[in-house]
Amino acid sequence: MSESPDDLPEAAERRLAGGAFSSGLSVSDFGACLEMGLEPVGLVQGFCAMHQGAYAMGGTLSRNLSPFGGSGSGYVQNYQCPHGMISNEHRMWGQNYEQTWVQDAWNQGFTSAYDRMLEEATTLGAHGVVGVIDTQMPLGDVGVIEFHLRGTAVKVLDMPAPTSSPWTTYLAGQRLAKVFEAGYVPVSIVATVSSVRVWAYCVTEYLMEGFGGTMWSNATNSSSPIEIDQIVTAHTWSRQRVRSLARTQLRGDALHGAAVQLAQREFQKGDLEIEALLRGNRIRRFKDFDPLPVPQPTVRLS
Amino acid sequence: MSDVANDLPQATGRRLEELEKGLFTSDLSVNEFLLIKEVGFHPVGFVMGSSIYHTGIQTRKWGQSLELTKLTEAMYNARELAMTRMEEEASELGADGVVGVRLDVNYYEWGKDAAEFIAFGTAVKAEDGVSRRNKLGKPFTSDLSGQDFWTLLQTGYFPQGLVMGTCVYHIAHRGLGQTLGTTGQNVELPNFTQALYEARELAMTRMQDEATLLDATGIVGVRLEEKSHQWGSHTIEFLSLGTAVTKTANEVTLAKPTTIITLDN
Repeated sequence: MSESPDDLPEAAERRLAGGAFSSGLSVSDFGACLEMGLEPVGLVQGFCAMHQGAYAMGGTLSRNLSPFGGSGSGYVQNYQCPHGMISNEHRMWGQNYEQTWVQDAWNQGFTSAYDRMLEEATTLGAHGVVGVIDTQMPLGDVGVIEFHLRGTAVKVLDMPAPTSSPWTTYLAGQRLAKVFEAGYVPVSIVATVSSVRVWAYCVTEYLMEGFGGTMWSNATNSSSPIEIDQIVTAHTWSRQRVRSLARTQLRGDALHGAAVQLAQREFQKGDLEIEALLRGNRIRRFKDFDPLPVPQPTVRLS
Repeated sequence: MSDVANDLPQATGRRLEELEKGLFTSDLSVNEFLLIKEVGFHPVGFVMGSSIYHTGIQTRKWGQSLELTKLTEAMYNARELAMTRMEEEASELGADGVVGVRLDVNYYEWGKDAAEFIAFGTAVKAEDGVSRRNKLGKPFTSDLSGQDFWTLLQTGYFPQGLVMGTCVYHIAHRGLGQTLGTTGQNVELPNFTQALYEARELAMTRMQDEATLLDATGIVGVRLEEKSHQWGSHTIEFLSLGTAVTKTANEVTLAKPTTIITLDN
């Protein structure tokens, strides 16, 4: 599908041409919207079903081969067995690497769905889209993920028709009103993902099984909690990576209300996939901060 | 059963009679009750409607994505029947509308391929005696809570009806060849995208058509639900629900919210 609005499904065009607006806003968010001078014009959405390539670098079959070289400029870190043992049962090397292809698939799917949502909003002549919700759902078939984005398209009252692409934000209602109060306008939603694969080696494996203590780590006594260095590194790295990826999308603007969601999947012992998803709102200052009215202190009597 | 009021079961008659004598039942919380009273409405009774519907079977083609119109119709009609019966109960009570409507689907062990669709809510009546029924002369329905009902009225809008649209869609299975062809690749699957896109748009269009029938200005609180019910993972019902509203001549009386800071620990 391309950028022309013509590629929307027929059903979408029929729906958007209808008389009534629809909005996914709750009544309080709807009220807050009207108060801010935003008029809802319709519920807009976009989809993309993506097939995600799967790679099995470092699997048991390639256990005795040399470590995977990493993907392009992606992060890769090798761990070498310190024991000098050679055996099929002994994992002589371990690896953490960035799954750039997972990140690429995610970005492509998300961006396509996002662009389609914007097309629907543009068709409605909207200035912006508020209360965006995005979901990623696995479809029946293995390896297919459906990206779905939706939100409520709004027009700013007493403003000329938009000339540029609509702005977007995850916020709606009073939370958005507070951003305006603080002197910022929304620019776009920001969502990035980083994915790291962990293949354990002997040391990590022993530590995961709880055989820590003095033998395999720097801990001084065997009952003290142990840090599993390889996994801690992967987690730290995925968080740093998703933040730096988000930063490249800001181009000098501020990020508001960012939250990182972490997911870890274990396929087999020591075979992990760590995914960090960062969502936030790119905002830009348009006026000085107006101090808020002094809040009224309250005490609940119930 | 048709839409004459007399098709309600006998037990309903007795229950409603008692309600007409002035006793009211409602599933409103105390706060909701107070807010509804504040905007000049009085609860007249807890109303419901139900329909047990046998959903027919429709053959699906393994490798094709398409709407299963028979199932769509069944899901739609059954819900409409439940809603209509609930509206009849409300009409019997002389109500102007129903708030806090919920729509549920239940499956029972004794009825294979049969599902019970049930709608319930609290019927309300305006205290000033002026009818607030919608354009079709029926009590308005809405899934708004008492709080939302209060807030909506302050914004100068009034609920007209709970509107919905549904679409049951079969998502194609991928053939072995297609699956192998994309192994190890990041590619969009346009057929899937289009199918799911189309299904949801159809559900939403149908919902909007209902709103247009009510001369609504808009729909608030739209929810999109997806369920496979008992059909297996490749057949999905997309249900879109919201409350259709119209702009009234009333002024916006929603005050600018006061900022508060709670001193409870």
